[in-house]
Amino acid sequence: MADAVIVVALLLVAGSATAAVAVRDPVRQALVLAVLGVALAVLFTVLQAPDVALSQLAVGSVLTPLLLLLTVRKVKRRGQRKGREQ
Amino acid sequence: MNGWTLTAALVLGGGVGATLWGVATGPLRRRVVAQNLSTALACPALLLLSQGYDRPSYVDLALVLALLGPVGTLVFARLLSGELAGDPPRAQGVTWAAAGLGAAVVLALCVAVGPGRAMAKLLVVGALLVGGNLVASRALSGGFREVSRG
Amino acid sequence: MNRRTRLWLVAAGGGGLAVLLVAACLELPAFGGASHPYGDRAVRASLSRHTANTIASVNFDQRAYDTLGEMTILFAAVLGCVVLLRQTRDEHRARPEPEEVAPPVRRYALVVLPVALLTGLYVIAHGQLSPGGGFQGGVVAATALHLLYLGADYRALERIRPVGRYEVGDAVAASAYVITGLACLIGGTAFLANTVLPYGTFNTLSSGGTVPLLNAAIGMEVACAVVVLLARFLDQAVEIEEESGK
Repeated sequence: MADAVIVVALLLVAGSATAAVAVRDPVRQALVLAVLGVALAVLFTVLQAPDVALSQLAVGSVLTPLLLLLTVRKVKRRGQRKGREQ
Repeated sequence: MNGWTLTAALVLGGGVGATLWGVATGPLRRRVVAQNLSTALACPALLLLSQGYDRPSYVDLALVLALLGPVGTLVFARLLSGELAGDPPRAQGVTWAAAGLGAAVVLALCVAVGPGRAMAKLLVVGALLVGGNLVASRALSGGFREVSRG
Repeated sequence: MNRRTRLWLVAAGGGGLAVLLVAACLELPAFGGASHPYGDRAVRASLSRHTANTIASVNFDQRAYDTLGEMTILFAAVLGCVVLLRQTRDEHRARPEPEEVAPPVRRYALVVLPVALLTGLYVIAHGQLSPGGGFQGGVVAATALHLLYLGADYRALERIRPVGRYEVGDAVAASAYVITGLACLIGGTAFLANTVLPYGTFNTLSSGGTVPLLNAAIGMEVACAVVVLLARFLDQAVEIEEESGK
């Protein structure tokens, strides 16, 4: 019973990590990845590792989605230009 | 295990679990709302855990999440504005419910810690959390109008 | 090598890894046990040097040399990105189109920017006392600047972000870490040994000897590195276009 919150956090991480692999579109993957980051931060917190949780929150909540979406935008723009030129 | 951690487990299992379902399935407009709600619900859970473990320094985690969670949603709102413009998300009800939960948790913790610096920090976290998530939700439903893109 | 052989090779490698992992897991101590031989020693060493956050003591005192390696990895990774994502000869810059942002979102970004910057500095400064430190605080501070891109437009961000200076800041902070280590070697006993500065009063900002200094160096390094990294990505995604007709 004392470990209920640890079990919940582990299940959330397992669920969101599986979803991140199962979703195929990069934009939607970035959204699932953001939720996975939050779930991991919660897991680290309940395992009493707040320093790691803070790193995860700092990197996972803004930096990773921003880098991913900027990359998607660049690739899409290049695709659009190629499409116009043909 | 005390009442605080039990409540945190319920918020995590029920709330964040539901947002995980929301973000993994359905149309894009539902997914972005679920992503916003996941930070809006995890932040009160972190506050409850900090109180449950009796570790005031863990409030820093909730502070960083209350700051960066809505900013992360702004990233999606800004860079997906083209995709979201045709089919904007409307989720007033759940957004306000999550904001209400955050406010209730912050108030309960304020009563528990009593007046002082800890309470001031909690109020800052609460203001950032509720304000940030409402603004992020507003940004998702048409906060960015691109001028010269079709 | 045909498809079938490759599949067998992957299966053999993966299977071997799985067997080794399971064997290692079976030998682990039980979850949540009371015996922590490394933890007890780390806490004792950290308290003897008046560092309240044992993790900061492990990162910047007991294993400061490891952190130097990690910092070098980040530095090299960002350097690689800068080289890879530079503007090549067949690309040109297009002015980004301004974006219309709803007033509440713009106001939110302008209010939260200073708060987030301050929080980043707070997390760096309190690294030796509470969870956090240079890496976490540096990322938060660098993220704060990019609220200008999210809440206003890219040109507003470019005005407060001379990338060249951040590149210099990145290098200066990285060398500050090494110089602190060398000062420990000259004034104290060994490279990065925390024996030069007084340990201070327990649980105050100035406690921990060289820990706050190294923390600040890492904070500056990470903040500058993230700004430079995002600048390259933003340039590529927003401004740089390939010449048409190629």
